[in-house]
Amino acid sequence: MNNIRNFCIIAHIDHGKSTLADRLLQMTGTISEREMQEQVLDDMDLERERGITIKSHAIKIDYKRPNGEVYNFNLIDTPGHVDFAYEVSRALKACEGAILVVDATQGIEAQTISNLYQAIEQNLEIIPVLNKIDLPSSDPEGVGQQIVDLIGCEFEEILTVSGKTGEGVPELLEAIVERVPGPAQEVDKPLRALIFDSVFNTYRGSVAYVRVMQGVLRKGDLFKFMANKEEYNAEEIGYLRMNYQPTKELKAGEVGYVIGSVKSLQDVRVGDTITTVKDGATTPIPGYQEAKPMVFSGIYPTSSEDFEDLRSALEKLQLNDASLTYEPETSKALGFGFRAGFLGLLHMEIVQERLDREFDIDIITTVPNVKYEVKLEEGKTISVDNPSQMPDVGKIDTIFEPYIKASIITPADFIGPIMKLCQERRGIYINQMFMQNNRVEITYELPMAEVVFDFYDKLKSGTRGYASLDYEFIEYRKGDLVRLDILLNAEQVDALSSITHREKAYYQGRRVCAKLKELIPRQQFEVAVQAAIGSRIIARDSIRALRKDVTAKCYGGDISRKRKLLEKQKEGKKRMKQVGAVEIPQEAFLAVLSMDEDDR
Amino acid sequence: MSGLYIHIPFCKQACSYCDFYFVTRQNEKQNFVDQLISEIRSKKDSEFNKEKIKTIYFGGGTPSLLSPLQIENIMQEIEQVFDLDLKEVTLEMNPDDVTSDYLRGLKEAGITRSSMGVQSFDENLLRFMNRAHSREEALACLDILSNSGMDSFTVDLIYGNPGQTPEMLEKDIDTLLGFDPPHVSAYSLTIEPRTRLGKQLELGRILEPEDDKVAVHFDLVVDKLGAAGIKQYEVSNYARTGHEAVHNSAYWSHENYLGFGPGAHSFWWNEDKSSARRWSNEPDLKKYLSGSGNQFFEEEHLTLSDLAEERIMLGLRTVVGIDIEALKSEYGHDFGEKHRKYISEKESEGKLKRENSRVYLTREGLKISDAIVLDLIS
Repeated sequence: MNNIRNFCIIAHIDHGKSTLADRLLQMTGTISEREMQEQVLDDMDLERERGITIKSHAIKIDYKRPNGEVYNFNLIDTPGHVDFAYEVSRALKACEGAILVVDATQGIEAQTISNLYQAIEQNLEIIPVLNKIDLPSSDPEGVGQQIVDLIGCEFEEILTVSGKTGEGVPELLEAIVERVPGPAQEVDKPLRALIFDSVFNTYRGSVAYVRVMQGVLRKGDLFKFMANKEEYNAEEIGYLRMNYQPTKELKAGEVGYVIGSVKSLQDVRVGDTITTVKDGATTPIPGYQEAKPMVFSGIYPTSSEDFEDLRSALEKLQLNDASLTYEPETSKALGFGFRAGFLGLLHMEIVQERLDREFDIDIITTVPNVKYEVKLEEGKTISVDNPSQMPDVGKIDTIFEPYIKASIITPADFIGPIMKLCQERRGIYINQMFMQNNRVEITYELPMAEVVFDFYDKLKSGTRGYASLDYEFIEYRKGDLVRLDILLNAEQVDALSSITHREKAYYQGRRVCAKLKELIPRQQFEVAVQAAIGSRIIARDSIRALRKDVTAKCYGGDISRKRKLLEKQKEGKKRMKQVGAVEIPQEAFLAVLSMDEDDR
Repeated sequence: MSGLYIHIPFCKQACSYCDFYFVTRQNEKQNFVDQLISEIRSKKDSEFNKEKIKTIYFGGGTPSLLSPLQIENIMQEIEQVFDLDLKEVTLEMNPDDVTSDYLRGLKEAGITRSSMGVQSFDENLLRFMNRAHSREEALACLDILSNSGMDSFTVDLIYGNPGQTPEMLEKDIDTLLGFDPPHVSAYSLTIEPRTRLGKQLELGRILEPEDDKVAVHFDLVVDKLGAAGIKQYEVSNYARTGHEAVHNSAYWSHENYLGFGPGAHSFWWNEDKSSARRWSNEPDLKKYLSGSGNQFFEEEHLTLSDLAEERIMLGLRTVVGIDIEALKSEYGHDFGEKHRKYISEKESEGKLKRENSRVYLTREGLKISDAIVLDLIS
């Protein structure tokens, strides 16, 4: 009897995936009440707060049917954000079925659709589930019809559950057994195990989470990663329970972990194939890709003494997040720091926030940018992922920028604001499709550079949080782009250089100059604030010299007060950034770097 | 030699800019004087009366709300406790309290110098500051004061007020000069957070004085008073030669002083001059009257390097400036290469001058001395 069922849950943020997963674990006795922590699968604080799963995990569930039969479920969790589309595709690859969870009070969202299509493409059996049916505002009829339209199932096939109360969960467990096909159990073939995730353990090195697609991996086997040919000994293999449960072998169809003294997470690449060194497979499982950073940003410590701490923090983060790349970078204005590459915007935000929370390092990040392909006059093409490295105007023939296809699902009321936003961001309208429940899917092609900054926030705020976004890279296209420099007393502030569309450069230059004028305190000399394209000044402002600042009264107790103030100012001065002779407070940098697109 | 500061915490009403400690109830004045006397008495035979007292300063609050007799009683107690060699005994007063009888009484009680809080002669500005007196009262009282026979007197002005034009300020100065004051303290308006103006600033009802405008006022004060022979000797203080405030100058050169009354600060060097401490009484009249306010409320120990920074800050506010040699010998402070270079730079910019080991700021430098001091200690 094939009693293995490998499946994942596809859901939008807030649609109750984690709560439902908890319920599955609880009702099958996989974890006890005592072990029950809210939303067990999300074990990082950050994930719990955001209500999204950043990194996928997996867990083995023993399910005893009412008729007494015992099944082994492997629930493979998928990351729920647009930046991790590739990770999602690998997790799906490890499954035969997917539970599509849709919030019956809200309807289906863009991200869900894109993951759902991936699942359908990979021939997964879809079990549609309406969640939160306990809520009075739920609309099982309307939302159910949406699902029917989307996947072409029968209305009757849709299950209704409440992750909160547990209603409908026993039926769901049965449906998993009945509808999800068991995996192929080709144990006689050469080993091919798909890595769908990896984590770093301080004591044991990198741990690969795998789905054995064919063959058998035994403890002690010499194995290799097919992408980089590195060979290791399978020191320990086992099943993923609440803890690791060692075993002797992992057979085709099973899900588990492999530990092999792999020091670097860089070796354990999601999507790669593990095979045995002896009698191994000759071809890997198709679909492997190197993680390609799409968004770049400079990360600098607020105070220069923290540089080494920042380096070691990034190292540690990378151990658990192979898609994060970084290399040292020096800025005249911000000192020593790193240029980091991220899969997307959320990924960047997560890294920044973890640096702050887990490592307590204050950082300044530069405005995120994409990677440009620049064709030079001399004929050669270079990649530029840092605005300050963009060659001078005279040397450039053409700049190409990445474009994405964005699909946005929104209640129809918000079509206007969304189209306005996309137009402002140089979007090219493709089409719109009306769905059930008065919802619309709008598709635009957009320069990625216009999306990386605050597009998502704007989209959310313009639609009272209702719109959802999914995007994929399509191609590089020619763009009328320029490098906009900011100068203080004729000295370029490299950290504030940006690449922008020519038409937007003037407005943006004026705005940045005005902001700096507002935030840079008067110095003992006049400071010229300028914005320039090449050698052409397109905006200017000036900060007049300080004329009078002296404290009026300084007697008795004033003296202590004044000294304490001086101590504080001294500390503040240490954190000032210097461009030429001009001292720029941290706040001015942060304010300019966080100016939203409307301000820029 | 040291000084005594006596804080008299009573006021008729709250001036809108003032953040000194005061109360507006008047019924506890005698109790306060009694308590003050016992606080002074508690210092008898202590480490603090090994030095002779050179100056006494009655500040507030409004010391002129006390009667000459009450001042006399306080003075008598001071004589009992301390060894005196008085050069100056100042008392702050408001125009609405002053009569010739009152001044005579003070003189008999031992006051040698009056400090008159005029602030302005402009009725509108007086209202803005919520002063208790009128222009007429100010004029009348200055008349009395200039004929009082006190050794010296000083008048306080405030400039850089919202809505105050240079012409208005000029009028105030001209009016004041008509009384031939030997000493003037002219302060640019500072809006402190816990004052009525601070509130108004927070609510956006008034704007912080603009530094360019205040700089013009500053120049005007320095020029006009200077032309009348009343020369600037500290950022906010101007005097005819020989009339510089002795008590206040002692603050700026780190001389010892003891403070009495709620909220009063004290400063005292350790015996070996390697460190000092500054402490204050709690600014709370009720506690003070119960006797418990007369204990260290806040106290800080100042290392020689703390003191050096203070000395640089205080010194550069005066026309005398700082003496690099004295900083080295008394405070063990040495300017490093960076700061020496900075001093040369400021000299060439005309913000600072050097005379042998003495460094002092020019008028342009003085106006931005907060920035220069910060650079010199960072």
